[in-house]
Amino acid sequence: MLLTAEKLEKRYGAKVALAGIDVQVAAGEVLGFLGPNGAGKSTTMRILSGVIGADGGRVVIDGHDLADDPIAAKAALGYLPEAVPLYPELRVVEYLAFRAELKGVLRKYRVSYIEEAMQKARVTDVAYAPIGTLSKGYRQRVGLADALVAKPKLLLLDEPTAGLDPAQIVEVREVLRGLGPEHGVLLSTHILSEVEAVADRAIVIDHGKVVAAAAVTELRAADPAFLIGVSSTDVALALLKPFAGRVVATVAEGGAVRVALVAGSAEGRDGVAEEVVAAFVGGGVGVRSVVPERPRLEEVFLALTRSRAEQP
Amino acid sequence: MRGFWPLFKRELLVFYATPLAWVLAFAFLTVQGLHFYALLASIASSPEVSDQSPLQAFFGETVILYFVQFMLVIPPLTMRLFAEERGRGTIELLLSAPITPLALVLSKYLAALLTYVLLWFPTLFYVFVIARTGYVDPAVVATSYLGVFLAGAALLAVGTLCSALVRSQFLALILTAFVILLFFVGGLFTFLTKDGTVAHAVATHLSLWTHMMDFSSGIIDSRHVVFYSSATIVPLYVTTRIVDGWRWA
Repeated sequence: MLLTAEKLEKRYGAKVALAGIDVQVAAGEVLGFLGPNGAGKSTTMRILSGVIGADGGRVVIDGHDLADDPIAAKAALGYLPEAVPLYPELRVVEYLAFRAELKGVLRKYRVSYIEEAMQKARVTDVAYAPIGTLSKGYRQRVGLADALVAKPKLLLLDEPTAGLDPAQIVEVREVLRGLGPEHGVLLSTHILSEVEAVADRAIVIDHGKVVAAAAVTELRAADPAFLIGVSSTDVALALLKPFAGRVVATVAEGGAVRVALVAGSAEGRDGVAEEVVAAFVGGGVGVRSVVPERPRLEEVFLALTRSRAEQP
Repeated sequence: MRGFWPLFKRELLVFYATPLAWVLAFAFLTVQGLHFYALLASIASSPEVSDQSPLQAFFGETVILYFVQFMLVIPPLTMRLFAEERGRGTIELLLSAPITPLALVLSKYLAALLTYVLLWFPTLFYVFVIARTGYVDPAVVATSYLGVFLAGAALLAVGTLCSALVRSQFLALILTAFVILLFFVGGLFTFLTKDGTVAHAVATHLSLWTHMMDFSSGIIDSRHVVFYSSATIVPLYVTTRIVDGWRWA
């Protein structure tokens, strides 16, 4: 494993930020790290990057314990913090040259590494622009180029598309998609489509604990859904109230109701569908169609974090 | 000391790529020039022959001007070293990089110290001017500049510590200026306490004026050297511990 974090714990006073989180990233893997705001994602990322220490647990990066051998462990990682702090007075190439040297890239490789990082992060066209004059999208990608510049084995990317407009998100996502084969990537985000687009595996955390960890396809398959074409969506939603806790219902396009089984449900999709249809028909709602559908990760995520929050 | 050189170079770049160093140099050299001119004018107009050389007077007698210089130069040089990194959030970039806390502290401190030394460098012109018209004792010149260097090194170390203590550059500036002022006030007690008392001994030990009088007379008192060395090393050590401790904040 490129990254092994075991039983990470962190407290801020009486507040427990992390309560025993395990994270593992293999070489060449993109691991989505999901959770609602305040779940502990950034705290975990800051611990993994060595910026803050954990109150308990252990982090090993590329075989080096972060506590015992921080220099070797940090030399194997590239970190993009959530706020993307940069030095605005420097030009992009100056900044990357400084960062490459700081990370121990030998002088003879420095120019080629910087050029490669700029190409991967798509910032070559602003290479000589002062960072302070760049748009947020460019600054985000300069931060990404910084994370890439020393060719680290492990990339820790904390909310890399936060605050970007849709076009910028697409651009950054294209960059992320190309990173997997050469690096192990831990991608922290609350944008689920991002994980679906680029990650192989995902872990979901909430209230400082891991609530799910599986391949993205498994997470989606675990909680199936179906679309039911109905005569009245309002009445249909009202009839679904007794199903609360078993399904998540939303109004879909074309006069349909989308019904997804909650995470971890042991019930069969078809059995629930029959019950729901029977309830609709019994309640006077006409049913035009029932179409099985694999759920979006958003619903899995919501169901996982909601069920956790409802626990005492 | 992995990471020292790139950080050291970057700190110097920040000093000289921004107006900070140039504004400080302008202010510092203007005050020093006026100081030197006033001193020479005073000596030239005096009917009595002074028992002090102009250099002794420059570095020793008028030491109160050094406090003005220290207040003018040292807080602005050190205020941003850590407070700016923490305020901007760029400290995360440094703490996640494969560098040691000692390299981080020393690179920033030594860049400030080098800038301080370079600020003093043009004042060698005054030595040249005096040497053209009279005798200059090279030993006095050397010890005088040694005194200026040691005092600056210690106060810069204190300023570096102050910058690591707070997130605001302004607070760091005020805090550093306050400590320099304490040195000044502490030195004044040399004149307010009776000779032979503990208070007098402590005030003399802390008095920059006393130290500079010795240095400007060509005397290197090992007590002064030990004092300034301690006043440099201890704050830098504490700063390194603080930087290391940020991981546990």
